[in-house]
Amino acid sequence: MDPVKILIYIFSATTALSMVRVVLGPTVADRMVGLTVVASQVLGLLVLIAVDRKLTFYLDVALVYDIFGFIGILAITRYVGNREAHL
Amino acid sequence: MIELLLSIQLIIAVLAVTARKELAGVLALGLFSLVSTVLFYLMEAPDVALTEAAVGAGVTTLIFVWVLRHTRSVSGRVR
Repeated sequence: MDPVKILIYIFSATTALSMVRVVLGPTVADRMVGLTVVASQVLGLLVLIAVDRKLTFYLDVALVYDIFGFIGILAITRYVGNREAHL
Repeated sequence: MIELLLSIQLIIAVLAVTARKELAGVLALGLFSLVSTVLFYLMEAPDVALTEAAVGAGVTTLIFVWVLRHTRSVSGRVR
């Protein structure tokens, strides 16, 4: 079996496990960390699918998602940090 | 695979609507757009997935958090 396909299955399983923390997480910080973990795992999944299908344009999607996802997570983290500082 | 992802999206959408805290809803929206990026990607529309990744994950989350910072809740407490 192709090792890339095995890696795709492993990444899908761990992404599903991390999504449980985002859905159930009792505090907002749990959900935030869970979203960060899911975002980086999906990034690896997108690259692996691009390698599996041998299409270079698919890599651009992973690149753009990484840049803009970082901006979004940075905004959420700064918001939570400022709120904790004012309490 | 696509049906499984759509079911996950349904759960996340219900969570985003019924969340008690505003930031939890925003986080659920980010996860929703992440899953829809993967969906567009698997359905061989990488250009749509590119746009969804740029707008859904980055700009929408940024705007929602910015609005949360500059508003107060109904009871008057600063969020």
